[in-house]
Amino acid sequence: MAQTQTIEQKPEAKAGEELLRIEELHATVEGREILKGISLVIKRGETHAVMGPNGSGKSTLAYILTGRPGYEITKGRILYKGEDIAGTTPDARARSGMFLAFQYPQEIPGVSVVNFLRTARNAVSDTEMSALEFHRFLKQKMALLDMPEELVKRYVNAGFSGGEKKRNEILQMAVLEPDLAVLDETDSGLDIDALRAVAEGVKVVAAGNEVGVLLITHYQRILNYITPDVVHVLVNGKIVKSGGPELAAELEKTGYDAFREEAPAGDKGPLP
Amino acid sequence: MMRFDDAAVRALARAEPGWFLDDRLAAFARFTALEWPDPSSEEWRYTDLKGFDLNNFAPPTEPLPLADNLDGVPEHVLAAMGDVWERDGLAIQIDGTVVHRRLADPLANKGVIFCDLATAAREHEDLLKDVIGTVGVPASEEKFATLASAFAAGGTFVYVPRGVDVTLPLHAFRWLETPGVLAAARTIIVAEESSSVTYIDHYASPDATTAISIGLVEIHARQAANISYLSVQDHGPDMYHFNIQRGEVRRDATLRSLAATLGGKVSRSVVESMLVEQGASAEMLGVYFADGDQHFDHRSLQEHSAPNTTSELLYKGALKGESRAVYSGLIHIAKDAQKADAVQTNRNLILSDHAKADSIPYLEIEANDVRCAHGASVGPVDDNQLFYLQSRGLDADEAEDLIVRGYFQEILDRVRVPEVRAALERAVEAELKA
Repeated sequence: MAQTQTIEQKPEAKAGEELLRIEELHATVEGREILKGISLVIKRGETHAVMGPNGSGKSTLAYILTGRPGYEITKGRILYKGEDIAGTTPDARARSGMFLAFQYPQEIPGVSVVNFLRTARNAVSDTEMSALEFHRFLKQKMALLDMPEELVKRYVNAGFSGGEKKRNEILQMAVLEPDLAVLDETDSGLDIDALRAVAEGVKVVAAGNEVGVLLITHYQRILNYITPDVVHVLVNGKIVKSGGPELAAELEKTGYDAFREEAPAGDKGPLP
Repeated sequence: MMRFDDAAVRALARAEPGWFLDDRLAAFARFTALEWPDPSSEEWRYTDLKGFDLNNFAPPTEPLPLADNLDGVPEHVLAAMGDVWERDGLAIQIDGTVVHRRLADPLANKGVIFCDLATAAREHEDLLKDVIGTVGVPASEEKFATLASAFAAGGTFVYVPRGVDVTLPLHAFRWLETPGVLAAARTIIVAEESSSVTYIDHYASPDATTAISIGLVEIHARQAANISYLSVQDHGPDMYHFNIQRGEVRRDATLRSLAATLGGKVSRSVVESMLVEQGASAEMLGVYFADGDQHFDHRSLQEHSAPNTTSELLYKGALKGESRAVYSGLIHIAKDAQKADAVQTNRNLILSDHAKADSIPYLEIEANDVRCAHGASVGPVDDNQLFYLQSRGLDADEAEDLIVRGYFQEILDRVRVPEVRAALERAVEAELKA
């Protein structure tokens, strides 16, 4: 089958190339400082887990990266593909390859998943796919994620179960083929089967194109399926510790309380 | 120019039997006695007729000749009517006179009637006399209703005998092109026991015409009958349109209605479903998209006067420019209407800083064992939805357009005539691009 011939071929992404650099980032939501000096670097092909308790600033980090209105950078900067992205719109970020899997995906009644996916794909891609080309492309992605055909005919997230919503996020990720995927508590609210399906989906999609992944989570359990290269512990708006996958296991044992007292670890992490 | 007087009524009625003329003259007398709607009344609070003066308008005069087929209908009228599609009946009226009408032969053979009112008054006198004017009109609309009754031109009488299904729609295309004319279309639909029919009143006019269009619609759904009545108002932006519709729904019968409002400078639509016998049900859909300085006023009544009656109303609109919309609807459940089930929902999307909408639900419930729900909303596109779509690469305008399309799609999915649904989808697209 030559079904990919008309699909846009991205320039060969090089593993190990720096994709995202966050430097001493401070951010506010409605005037309240939530992020209080975060630094991290993600290279292409790397998966970073950011783990933290409720209220530590995890979702704020996801939103500040993807440009949600109301989230403001007050200090520090975010370099994406070498460029400072301050002031750019969420759609410009999406078009340059950023993707956010939402913790609470929105319902868009009256808009079918397939129509939505095609509109979004054409928005982020330089080459427009015809309806037929897109249909083939989508079928391939759905097969990859083992998604039921009927799901894409339904209206975006309307009446979807929690698991279906999260799988739909990963399908969007597969279709948009991002360079950087920010997964905001994609594991929350899923039973064990749905969690496994979603995690496998993320792995398959991420592996394909040297995607950098920022996996934001409260719990360690998704890391049973996706092994991060780096784990960051986010407490009270600061990364208090960074380390390898073993850090997640340690967290599981000790809980977040053990980290609350630690000094900010901005210079202890594996920054180059 | 013809004035609105007895002589004009007589001129219009010259091909009609005496009783019909008497009806017109009585309506005109009542019209003359009535005051114009009072802006201080609750019913007209939001629609000020200050700039409206009947003296600037005139009733239609000479009827145009009847064309045997579509070749005899002016090209621009056919173009305005849109795609050719399969219908069981088609009537084309220009400025209130019928220029073409056709009803599928098998239906005519079964006794289905689809004709203008003058013809009905001559050829189906007993049937027409039995029903005309019997559903009544709300007091607040009487001024325009009596005007329409007195000067009704063309109009439509639909009669479906017991047990007959009219499977494809009957379509009345009402084209209004002469500036200053009043075209009052009176539509009377009777579906006898266990029959069914779908009927479309489709109003349109060119962009530059200022005229008055009135639809006075009387619907009778007899026992276990099934009627779909679709009103599509696609007038030019300088038109006045007043629609007064009342449907009487008998035992186990269903009336589905759609009020689609797209055009007009001032457009008022009053839709009333009277559920008068057990098991009667009504679905009332409304779709509107206003722009520029358009003013839309939608009113509705869900009247439950018998037990086990059901009504569901959903009106969805969007507003651009400096347009204005008001929706007000009443659910009335009478004391005897136990186990009634009524839902009323009105949603308004405000797409510009200067557009404004009001949504005013009223409930009046006298029975104690009923289910009644209502919801109203007025506001811009949801920020969370916008961000979601923007995070997928759509810019702010594309994101908003997609949300609005979906918003309408949800209600258009319920429009059961595919051609009307498609036409409304195109209208939404055109409004988005405007």
